[in-house]
Amino acid sequence: MAIDKNEVLEEIRDQLEAIKVPGAREATAESTWTELDVDSLDLVELVKALEDRFEITIADDDLKPIESIGDTIELTDRLVSAKEEAPA
Amino acid sequence: MSQPPSTPYGNESVEIAITGRGVVSSIAEGADAFVGALNERRSGVVDGVAPCSEFDPAHAMDAKSARRADRYTQLAFAAAAQATAEAGLPGDVDLERLAVLVGTGVGGLKTLEDECRKFVDGGERAVSPLFVTMMMPNAAAGTIAIDLGAHGPGFSVSSACATGSHAIGEAKRMLERGEADVVVAGGTEAAITPLCMAAFKRLGALSREGISRPFDARRDGFIMGEGAGVLVLERAEHARARGAEILGYVAGYGASNDAYHMTQPDEGGRGAEKAMRAAIDDAGASPQEIGYINAHGTSTPYNDRIETKAIHSVFNGGSPPVSSTKSAIGHLLGAAGAVEAVAVVGALQRGLLPPTLNFEEPDPDCDLDYIPDGPREAPGLELALSNSFGFGGQNACLVFKKAT
Repeated sequence: MAIDKNEVLEEIRDQLEAIKVPGAREATAESTWTELDVDSLDLVELVKALEDRFEITIADDDLKPIESIGDTIELTDRLVSAKEEAPA
Repeated sequence: MSQPPSTPYGNESVEIAITGRGVVSSIAEGADAFVGALNERRSGVVDGVAPCSEFDPAHAMDAKSARRADRYTQLAFAAAAQATAEAGLPGDVDLERLAVLVGTGVGGLKTLEDECRKFVDGGERAVSPLFVTMMMPNAAAGTIAIDLGAHGPGFSVSSACATGSHAIGEAKRMLERGEADVVVAGGTEAAITPLCMAAFKRLGALSREGISRPFDARRDGFIMGEGAGVLVLERAEHARARGAEILGYVAGYGASNDAYHMTQPDEGGRGAEKAMRAAIDDAGASPQEIGYINAHGTSTPYNDRIETKAIHSVFNGGSPPVSSTKSAIGHLLGAAGAVEAVAVVGALQRGLLPPTLNFEEPDPDCDLDYIPDGPREAPGLELALSNSFGFGGQNACLVFKKAT
């Protein structure tokens, strides 16, 4: 079953809001970490929230090319799909 | 980049000026409001503790920075914001030569307690990635330096209850050595936490009666307070060159070790006496010139008796009036010396000695003039001594001089 990307976007917004990132509520898939002033400590907290919510594991290497919310949604989608396709 | 001073270390001609003050305490926020509240005899003690109940970090920090900071850092940040605003920092100060020495006795205790609980309940993944940077005792100094863009030396000074005075004294030395043009120096503490209260209670250090009554015969321990004090220090010539108002001077600093016991002061008051003498010598003064002593005055049976004995030794029967700020705001541990420095500067500025509250029943072992009826006018006050004695036997005394 494909992941609902809007659900991932909402989860990211919720988490950014929880860690007091200014403009979190208005963030879109196009918003970049640079624009949002999201740093490495913020990403550690965001990654944990996504891992818990979608039952995935995000490796440090997975994060290297991630520069925006859209990239993060795509990564989450890919990891959820991979998990579901994997033999039980 | 500006030149370091031409005078060598220890040269008395290097005057260290105070150009900014900041305080967060249980009785007031802001240096002038704090000094005023002391002289109004206000007490911050409620139910046996003296918390900064009205403190809101949002007044000084954005929400994200505040979330990333333990309360001890939030308090320091707010006090530093006041002090740097008063001093006009950063202005045209050379940021490469702006230093931050802000200490704490115990660091981010609330964070430590919260994260320990989360770890026990939920294991490794439950621990916040912010734990280290919130708990570490140099977080306050680091957060202040990041905000100012201060690239000079930066670290936390830690000597338990003498931290604030050590930080100010070491800042004086740093300026004398020419290692910085301006130092943001002070102490901060937020230790009214369940674990810390239990620990000090088990140690027998807290007042069972719930009253801070330094030097009174019925004193039975200290009241835990919280808060932060910060001063901006610079060489007087540097302050004058940039047009900063000089509010007073840190004229002398003396430090010593009891090397005796972790919690009890040396019975003869040897370490306290040595630090007081060193601070007065460093100011180029004699004991007779000191017009007021802001005592360590914790309200513990040991400290107040032995501090009195040490004052007698230094002043040889001629002690000036003595009072304890801890009677009003409790013991701020690592912040105490820095907040009390602001009280002393206020006394020098106003020619008004703050009182010792709750002093009613004299103790034959504590026979000095503790200003129980204060505030008291002292128009000729020029020099004042401030004492800080820490667990571990580490002592720091400062002499402050009125601005001329």
